[in-house]
Amino acid sequence: MNDIVLKLTQLFRDVLDNEKIVLDENTTASDIEEWDSLSHIHLVVEIENHFNISFTSAEMQSWKTIGDLAAHIAAKINA
Amino acid sequence: MLFNSFSFLVFFVVVTLTYYLLQHRFRWLMLLLASCIFYMFFKPEYILILAFTILVDYYAAIAIGTAADKRKKYTYLVASLIANIGILAVFKYYNFINDNITGVAHLLGFNNPVPYLGMVLPIGLSFHTFQAMSYTIEVYRGHQKPERHFGIYALYVMFYPQLVAGPIERPQNLLHQFREQHPYNYHNIVTGLRLMLWGFVKKIVIADRLAVIVNEVYGNYTHYSGLAILIAVVFFAFQIYADFSGYSDIAVGAAKLMGFNLMLNFNYPFRSKNFTDFWRRWHISLSTWFNDYLYSPISFAKRKWRNYAVVYAIMITFAVSGLWHGAGWTFLVFGLLHGTVLSYEAVTKKFRKKLSARIPAFLYGRISQLLTFGFLAITWIFFRSENFPKAFHVIKSLFTGGDSYQKLLQPAFLYHLVLGFLAIILLEIMQRLYGEMQFNHYIEKKTTPVRWAFYLAFTILILNFGYFGSNQFIYFQF
Repeated sequence: MNDIVLKLTQLFRDVLDNEKIVLDENTTASDIEEWDSLSHIHLVVEIENHFNISFTSAEMQSWKTIGDLAAHIAAKINA
Repeated sequence: MLFNSFSFLVFFVVVTLTYYLLQHRFRWLMLLLASCIFYMFFKPEYILILAFTILVDYYAAIAIGTAADKRKKYTYLVASLIANIGILAVFKYYNFINDNITGVAHLLGFNNPVPYLGMVLPIGLSFHTFQAMSYTIEVYRGHQKPERHFGIYALYVMFYPQLVAGPIERPQNLLHQFREQHPYNYHNIVTGLRLMLWGFVKKIVIADRLAVIVNEVYGNYTHYSGLAILIAVVFFAFQIYADFSGYSDIAVGAAKLMGFNLMLNFNYPFRSKNFTDFWRRWHISLSTWFNDYLYSPISFAKRKWRNYAVVYAIMITFAVSGLWHGAGWTFLVFGLLHGTVLSYEAVTKKFRKKLSARIPAFLYGRISQLLTFGFLAITWIFFRSENFPKAFHVIKSLFTGGDSYQKLLQPAFLYHLVLGFLAIILLEIMQRLYGEMQFNHYIEKKTTPVRWAFYLAFTILILNFGYFGSNQFIYFQF
């Protein structure tokens, strides 16, 4: 899980162009100024490409925190 | 029933008192009946429209909840959406679509056999159908359990404070509140009443006062130019904000009195430094609705297109949002203008970030705020004008001088102009009090006489400086 959060941190920093971003499992969209519905789609694509997975619309709606997202990624990688 | 009418004052007092006199198990019924009366003040027979959508959505949600497989759930959702959008199409868009067909047919030398229907737009139609759709979509997405109590579901759609002009609520926030007991709470009463009082000041003292100049200039737009047009355009921006946020304040306040918490609808929109920011602060209940149910699914489906997906989803969303406001080409252009600016902002985000690093923050912020307000005011010209020739004429007149300065100096015009400017200053001062100074906390610490002096001052303001024609709220027409 920690590896995934670390990797997500790097992806978020690249996509949102902010090296100061620090993610943990409890981080939500409201904690990160640049993370809005416009940049969200870029994040999703980068995450999908990096982990070589694909999300459904329903999965995306169920993420409340970075922890939820990381859990989804872990489940997909191990599937 | 208009909030700014004497009948509402009586209605509101009776409903709120009865609410607290009744036992919890009878309250939903009283609120439902009261909401029916509130709605039927406008056009009684239209309550059948509400009854129809409530019935369809109530059963559709239960069917979605109990259906075994995804395809069946989806079918019931689509049925519910067709019923709601169908009602909107018939009552709001039928004549607009039909007029355009007639126009095209005439161009091609045919006649359109489908007749024009002379009907009044049902009040608040776009608001309560959107709130109803939010319910079935959330049930389909699994975020909300279907409501089995028919009366409570009907009340969710019809709850009188937000029935005709929002905030457009979500079932997760509102439905459970009807089941909870709301014992008498002094804090709720005072907070609610204070919010309502401020809402009435915004509507009657500020918005309707500004409307005098706006209506005069827009009504005789060919007689004015330059500065007069500029003033009317700026006044309209403040008018529409005071009008609509005043309505929201009254709605939220009236609900708060009975212990209900409705969502925040405005968050200092004129402090926005760009359009993206503006739509996070303006009519939040609608912008989040569009984000959750239209923008996000579209941009997600097309996400491989990257930036193009964002632009595509924004343009569709804002075209629909424009038409949500009114069935007319000017509203579509209003939406597309906003969509274009938002797309520009989405694509140039990194560039603008670099630019802002080179310019002093204070200066960059002020310039951004001013530009945003200026563009906003211009897009609202399409909102306020009934047709394109008028809108373009108004925009052209903004940049031409002319001899209308003498008109500005006529005593009657000057009088309303000064009152208009005072109204804007009052709005800004009160916003500051409510915002930075936390007016609610500030006033709670004051002694009783000081508090009542404030309330009395507001009441005197309404009675002395208020504009008492029977002015509808602007957003009622949607």
